[in-house]
Amino acid sequence: MGPMDADQMDADQTSGPGLNRRQLLKAGLGVGGSLLLGGCWADGYGEDVANATRPLNERIEAWMQSKGPGPEFPRSQVRPEELLINSFNGVPALDPARYRLQVGGMVGRPLSLDLAALAALPQREMIIRHICVEGWAAIVAWGGVRLADVLKLAQASNLGGYVYFDSADGYYESWDIASAMHPQTLLATHMNGEPLPAQNGAPLRLATPIKLGYKLSKWVTAIRVEPTLMASRKGYWEDQGYEWFAGL
Amino acid sequence: MAVQHNPLWTRWFHAFDALVLLVMAGSGLQIYNANPVFGGRGGATFPPLLTLGGWLEGGRFWHFGFMALFALNLGIWIGLLLQRRRRHLAKIADLVSWRGSQNLAKRRYSAHRLIYTLMLIVLGFSLITGLAMYKPVQLWWLSGLFGSWQILRIFHFATVPAMVALVVSHGVLSWRIGGLSLMRKMAA
Repeated sequence: MGPMDADQMDADQTSGPGLNRRQLLKAGLGVGGSLLLGGCWADGYGEDVANATRPLNERIEAWMQSKGPGPEFPRSQVRPEELLINSFNGVPALDPARYRLQVGGMVGRPLSLDLAALAALPQREMIIRHICVEGWAAIVAWGGVRLADVLKLAQASNLGGYVYFDSADGYYESWDIASAMHPQTLLATHMNGEPLPAQNGAPLRLATPIKLGYKLSKWVTAIRVEPTLMASRKGYWEDQGYEWFAGL
Repeated sequence: MAVQHNPLWTRWFHAFDALVLLVMAGSGLQIYNANPVFGGRGGATFPPLLTLGGWLEGGRFWHFGFMALFALNLGIWIGLLLQRRRRHLAKIADLVSWRGSQNLAKRRYSAHRLIYTLMLIVLGFSLITGLAMYKPVQLWWLSGLFGSWQILRIFHFATVPAMVALVVSHGVLSWRIGGLSLMRKMAA
């Protein structure tokens, strides 16, 4: 109803002032009909709209991003059933005993960490809101090591502006280094006080309050520090058109 | 017959309002469809006729692309109405005359003012709830006011049917007051 009214006005505007009732009716019917196709016609311009508004939006986002840590919540607000499962390719089988996290690229000291080595690093737990691009959200308690600690341990180069993540299921992601170094960005091994379930990314996944869910790779097996962002390989969903930064 | 039009800028602003609201509503419903507020996965979705963007990210492109225009539009609108508040913003007296006045014209003007004022409240609310979901990390204090994410989503979505109801009332009332001639003055 609302959309119809508005489009009607556009049509009247293009038809000029000398309308009689019949012409108006015709124009109205025409617009009503073209709205059916018009919606689809306009759908294709989403990317142009995004390109036109991106500089402004990114400026606003960058300005907001620099302000403080994300909110944490009391444990009583954790709702495990609200965390939905998304996976593009099922749940990969990973043997915890043979699992290694490879850290490479522009690092002074490439690492191959097993789960014991990760458990030996300082542990942190945070209760944050996990927000999916689809619109739903869930408050989750994530436990694990800071990604920043692992990157420092590997002596990541200051010249590496981007961090790539590879997952056992073939999923891949890339982040800006500032978000990766954020104190609330974890390589999580625990969820809601328990070891991470397989469908949630065991044995290791990304968790942070500052990015949308599709940035939070599960089943992470390799981290690479890179000097540039590869335009054709930014992430599984990004390469299909989703926004790369995806900050909250 | 020559029509005495409303000032050009009024007509343009009116069309601009309509366009921005149309884009925000259509793209918002597209985003809604990715995970319906009511029913979640498997919940009822809106037909493509009412959505804009074609897919989730397309809807987000339009929604976030127009959000600054929406805020600007709302700001100008509120500014204009505040400047002419004595003619356009509702007062308690309008509620009284809308309910009980014998004077038809008075009753209609009261109804008009009530609708304008409610529109601004609804759109302001839609901007606030939208911001609370767009930047829940930096605006945690704003998002926190709503209690839970689901309540926030319901409130943000509810502004769409509320605006549809107000726009329809606005259209019906305008037609009753000025008929085709008023429509032409404003839209043609």
